[in-house]
Amino acid sequence: MTDRLLVVENLRTTFRTVSGVIPAVGGVSFDLGANETLGIVGESGSGKTVLARTIMGLQPRTNIEVSGSVLLNGQQVVGASERVMREMWATQVAMVFQDPMTSLNPVMRIGRQIDETLRVRLGMDRRAARARAIELLNMVGIPSAEARYRAFPTELSGGMRQRVVIATALACSPKLLIADEPTTGLDVTIQSQILNLLDSLKQQLDMSVILITHDLGVVATRTSRIIVMYAGQIVEMGATRDIFHHHRMRYTRALLDSSPKVANPSHTRLAVIPGRPPNLSTLPPGCHFAPRCAFATEQCHRERPTLQAADSPGHVFACWNPLAASTNEGDSTR
Amino acid sequence: MSDVIDEPTVLTPLRGKRLGPLFWVCVGWLALNVLAAILANFLPLIDPLFQNYNVINAGPSLHHLLGTDDLGRDILSRIVFGSRVSLAVGSGAMLIGFGVGMPLGMLAAYRRGRFDSILTAVMYVLLAFPAIIAVIAVISFWTPRTLLKIIIVIGLASVPLVYRVIRGATLAVATKDYVIAAQVQGCTDRRILFRELLPNIAPIAVSFLLIGVATVVTLEGALAFLGLSVNPPTPSWGNMINESRTVMAQNPWLVIFPSLALCLFLLCLNFIGDRLRSYFDVTEVKL
Amino acid sequence: MSDHRTPLLKVRDLTVTFGKGTRSVSAVAGVSFDVYEGETLGLVGESGCGKSTTGKALMKIVAPTSGSIELNGVDITHQRGRALRHARTHMQMIFQDPISSLNPRRRVRSIVAEPLDAWKTASGAERDRIVNDLLNKVGIDPEVYGNRYARQFSGGQCQRISIARSLAMRPQMLICDEVVSALDVSVQAQILNLLEDLKAEYGLTLLFIAHDLAVVKNISDRVAVMYLGKICEIGPSDTLYETPGHPYTQFLLGAALEADPDSVDAGTVLEGEPPSPHDPPSGCRFRTRCPFATERCAAEEPQLREVAVGHQVACHYPFAAA
Repeated sequence: MTDRLLVVENLRTTFRTVSGVIPAVGGVSFDLGANETLGIVGESGSGKTVLARTIMGLQPRTNIEVSGSVLLNGQQVVGASERVMREMWATQVAMVFQDPMTSLNPVMRIGRQIDETLRVRLGMDRRAARARAIELLNMVGIPSAEARYRAFPTELSGGMRQRVVIATALACSPKLLIADEPTTGLDVTIQSQILNLLDSLKQQLDMSVILITHDLGVVATRTSRIIVMYAGQIVEMGATRDIFHHHRMRYTRALLDSSPKVANPSHTRLAVIPGRPPNLSTLPPGCHFAPRCAFATEQCHRERPTLQAADSPGHVFACWNPLAASTNEGDSTR
Repeated sequence: MSDVIDEPTVLTPLRGKRLGPLFWVCVGWLALNVLAAILANFLPLIDPLFQNYNVINAGPSLHHLLGTDDLGRDILSRIVFGSRVSLAVGSGAMLIGFGVGMPLGMLAAYRRGRFDSILTAVMYVLLAFPAIIAVIAVISFWTPRTLLKIIIVIGLASVPLVYRVIRGATLAVATKDYVIAAQVQGCTDRRILFRELLPNIAPIAVSFLLIGVATVVTLEGALAFLGLSVNPPTPSWGNMINESRTVMAQNPWLVIFPSLALCLFLLCLNFIGDRLRSYFDVTEVKL
Repeated sequence: MSDHRTPLLKVRDLTVTFGKGTRSVSAVAGVSFDVYEGETLGLVGESGCGKSTTGKALMKIVAPTSGSIELNGVDITHQRGRALRHARTHMQMIFQDPISSLNPRRRVRSIVAEPLDAWKTASGAERDRIVNDLLNKVGIDPEVYGNRYARQFSGGQCQRISIARSLAMRPQMLICDEVVSALDVSVQAQILNLLEDLKAEYGLTLLFIAHDLAVVKNISDRVAVMYLGKICEIGPSDTLYETPGHPYTQFLLGAALEADPDSVDAGTVLEGEPPSPHDPPSGCRFRTRCPFATERCAAEEPQLREVAVGHQVACHYPFAAA
């Protein structure tokens, strides 16, 4: 397991709030190889963002409990001091958030924001940092980078801002880039530009990428493996093709069926998942998806299913009453 | 055909927001002040103007709970009667300030356009002018000084401030989709102002009102200190403190008690205003 | 396909300009279309293309600068005051942000009853009956949830309540502005199905504004594609998606991400970003990003021309229908 860049084992992140204990991430284990792209898919409240922030060591330290283990390039993140984390953020892991404006300082020229990272983390001098910043801006496809170096974030479009954020994240050549909904809120044409950019940067810089999204379309062609999360837990994990064509878990199927498709004739009735994602502070005793699942049996309501292996290697799912192994081929793309 | 649709499970409502016991202590103290001021004539108090030369500059005693001043007048009685002036100025001036400033601020923020630009420009010019000097100037020259005139002058001087706060609060609400939705449903402007905007700016208005009253009470004290409030011998908290300056060395009670009354009153108002604001702030509820 | 019918909504040369002089922006720069009774017209485009402004201009939430809007044969472009308020009861709008669409300090029942109260169309038991009926129709149990405050509901539920409110005056037409884009996938499907059900039940006509091509395809009979304030293509949705005539439409469809690992979406990426609407390109507005642009595209602005029945394209060199 030494070739694994990231090994997450039984990770739990629990919030303590006035209204109760919220297990946002409830025991998650997975690993990630070098130069691999992993997709994490889930609806709001599935814990995907909390998971990412925990791996980043970004969670606040009050009213929160993190247990389990996150080994990033052999270094433990859970319980690491802020000083250690700072060191890791410099060279090991970086994050791109959904709203570029939250990670850019609106009153600071974009060049300075990249410079700053380089000078503080890598100890570059002003001139070298400037040259590197412009190189980075060029690399993420910002036209006339020299001029844009002096622009303020508000002067750029959403897509350009996200490119700047990616440039900032890549400044110290991290081994792992976590992109949390990097294209949500961007236009379709810009969305594919950004995703293609991430893809080519991954190859170019030999890094691994975790792509977190609610949109199955985003991860369909750009990941090698996918994790489907529901209510803070992994419900299915496997190679991208297996998830789309040979999924076993009922929720994965329902998620695929409920998203509208361009290929459908108009007025196609959408398959609907009844209800809403569960309230994390009052989770049902059995399978978390059971209350919304049309195929739930008595066992599903009583006992929580654990991850079990499917036919292909690395493909696991948590379901008492799974879809048959081979009959769902092609169904998801109806 | 019929889908099993979303079974609404209501999100966690207000998460244990409480006003707290201190809030109610403050409310109680204010209520006591107001009641005493209203019922002063019926309370078993010594006439605040009665001069008892046998007990001059006396400390607190059973007969004079808070002592007497340099003319032998009962301090407790003068504080209670003096609160009438402070309360009248505070509430009266704010009534005028809000009566004029609030509708203007709401209308300007809701209507926008030229009405808003002109009105806001005028208000900002007024704000730029030091209000306290204007108030002092007007009060000094508009003789004879009466309580009503003081109230009117301070009230008008507070209009630009109220306008600015209310306009800002309304602007934040007026751009929300539910206001547009109300327009789209064919609601009249008046209906939108009262049913959609007012309930949402009311908490801000109330807390600002309380803080405004506190400010005006302080202002009255300052005017009295300059000898520009109600004419002696009518007591007010401000002119009691003012008069006591000369005899502070002999009788410290004379400055301590009115100051304490003023201080507690202001503290309570500010605390209540602040608590109400955060209590009614629904945006804080969202997780 | 539906040209022989009379349009419910007729929009001609609609423009909306913000600001004055050199700093003005034409968010909508001459848009004409018809919406026929009982159909759903989808309006797609990227952000800043003017699709939302078009919807708001139809409701007169923003003032149209020029052009005309006819509803039921009545010109509402210059209506004001009571006449406008009345016209609006025939046409309702639902907004993108479900939470901000509802006054957080009011109860569900009172929100849904607001139009009835404002117009005094119903009161007492009749009013309660209508409100309960509407809430039941959108899947919110009025007995249990009618007296809750709007702020206690999730996005999907708020959107249901908004829909119930918009139906209170029995409008003929609903303008849906990105109504599902803030919702989770599973909730989005619920709302889309609900809209289809209500449309059938109340005989509604829908103008469905969205950026998500798959969502628009799913709900619309016809689709109009907007780019930089103009309609570049309009046609029956199946035809338009299968054989797009305008290069922009083709790129847009190419960029749409399919939830299918076997789909090939590389290579069709549209480069660059839309130019600023402050200073739109001469001639065809898409020419700066169009790989097929010629000198003619810069010199002459293409008008919408019919390439097939009911399928119009504003391009000098449209792709031939297969």
